[in-house]
Amino acid sequence: MNIIVNGNNRTVESPPLTPLLHVLREELDVLSPKAGCENGGCGACTVLIDGAPRRSCLTAVGSVPDAEVTTVEGLGAPETMSDVQQAFVHYCAAQCGFCTPGMIIAATAYLEGGGSADRVEISEALAGHVCRCTGYLKILDAVAAARDGGFDLSTTAESPHTTVLT
Amino acid sequence: MAIHRGRGIASIEYPTGMNQNGDPSQAWIKVKPDGRIDVFSGTSDIGNGSKTIQTQIVADTIGVPYDWVTYDNSNTDSSPVCTGTFASRATFVAGKAVLKAAQRVRERILEVAGQEMEISPEDLEIDDGEVLAKGAPTKKLSVGDVAAAATWGHGELITGTGAQLNPYAAISDPTTGEVDGVPHAAISYAACAAEVAVNDETGEVRVLKLTQAYDVGKAINPALVEGQIEGGAIMGLGLGVLEDSYPYYPSAEHRGGDFGSYYNPSSADLPELHNIIIENPSADGPYGAKGIGEMSNNAQPAAIATAVYDAVGVWVTELPITPERVLRALDARNAGSGPRREGKQVIFDEELSINTVGTGKAWTAEV
Repeated sequence: MNIIVNGNNRTVESPPLTPLLHVLREELDVLSPKAGCENGGCGACTVLIDGAPRRSCLTAVGSVPDAEVTTVEGLGAPETMSDVQQAFVHYCAAQCGFCTPGMIIAATAYLEGGGSADRVEISEALAGHVCRCTGYLKILDAVAAARDGGFDLSTTAESPHTTVLT
Repeated sequence: MAIHRGRGIASIEYPTGMNQNGDPSQAWIKVKPDGRIDVFSGTSDIGNGSKTIQTQIVADTIGVPYDWVTYDNSNTDSSPVCTGTFASRATFVAGKAVLKAAQRVRERILEVAGQEMEISPEDLEIDDGEVLAKGAPTKKLSVGDVAAAATWGHGELITGTGAQLNPYAAISDPTTGEVDGVPHAAISYAACAAEVAVNDETGEVRVLKLTQAYDVGKAINPALVEGQIEGGAIMGLGLGVLEDSYPYYPSAEHRGGDFGSYYNPSSADLPELHNIIIENPSADGPYGAKGIGEMSNNAQPAAIATAVYDAVGVWVTELPITPERVLRALDARNAGSGPRREGKQVIFDEELSINTVGTGKAWTAEV
């Protein structure tokens, strides 16, 4: 069977019940979707399937023939990052980075689906994505600002949540 | 049913670097012929930002742009010894090692530049990749030209090493735990104020706001410090009200095995956060910095527990403060006997938990 990964036609040899996550990582060498809990709880494996965010660990590759699969590699390269990717850099929204691909995919789908900059709505949209480093705040800041675009990546956004006493 | 609001505070003091010290970090820096800088150090960056922070320390100490510096911690054969990323030591201890190495490199760049420019090294400074004569900044030579002169003219590799070690403080009196040296290189302080809402019918505790003040000595990278504070806040919230390795189920087999039964905080649990960074410099750390990593999730559970007491007047003395524990405490109070027994200590012990959880006994011991 074939799937389209980040715009490229790829032939899949794995059996049809193989999770899409394993096909991407092990057969096709697309490494941004992460194998976290592998039972749908952590969100680190999330990819876009025909534009909708899906857990690739729970998706049998045989159930999505000829689908368009998008991972963060398909959203932008280091020199051509998407607005959401740039926002994650500018707001320092990643620490260890394990959840980041899933977060960016979910945030991209949320914004492309017309999601607002409202904090409660963003946190609901990302609530299925576990992050154990950041405390989520900088991620919410990044997603809330992402639609503005045009980030200066040589600087880090100043946090409105912090006071420094010297 | 009523929702009760409450506020509580807790404070901590926390040793930066390893207890009893004795944990070395070493660094080696070399300058390429074009002036770019290679740093070899052993500190893994697990998301704490040690690579970024140590690169900043090297760039600022030598006086070159950040992006001239390559920090290589990828190879345990080529990197010098570093005991690792733990104990809030990556900035405080390993950062001091790269600082010392960078100071030596800077000195050597100035000496070579002095020979090239025929100016005494004491009268030179380095700023943004250029060696400048003090008071006469038109007389200058780029660090790249200095490195090229060293390489092609002087037959020299400009290099520097640095190591940081606070001597190990052995226990001299096992009874008291007294040590024969300085037990900690620097102490940090922090406080957390929690605001909660407690539902007296369901027992649910919602954390509404965490205001946290951390003494970090010097925030070398404020955004990364915020990341530690905010990440620690949510870990502390999880420890305080959500996360339990051995929930009080009939059998240990019923412990949380996935994210449907192990409740770690999600973005929907995020309270309002206010970070206060206090810069109270340490004598030992690079640029006065202290470590913040480990202390960042200590104060929240206690602050939340005091806020719950403020809200509904009962002390919940086991973590996490689950709805069940709140309701049991309220029931006990309403029955006329408070749940807080003086002298009771809560002991977490994996064996004890597994062995007693099936018997219906609590995992606490009277001491």
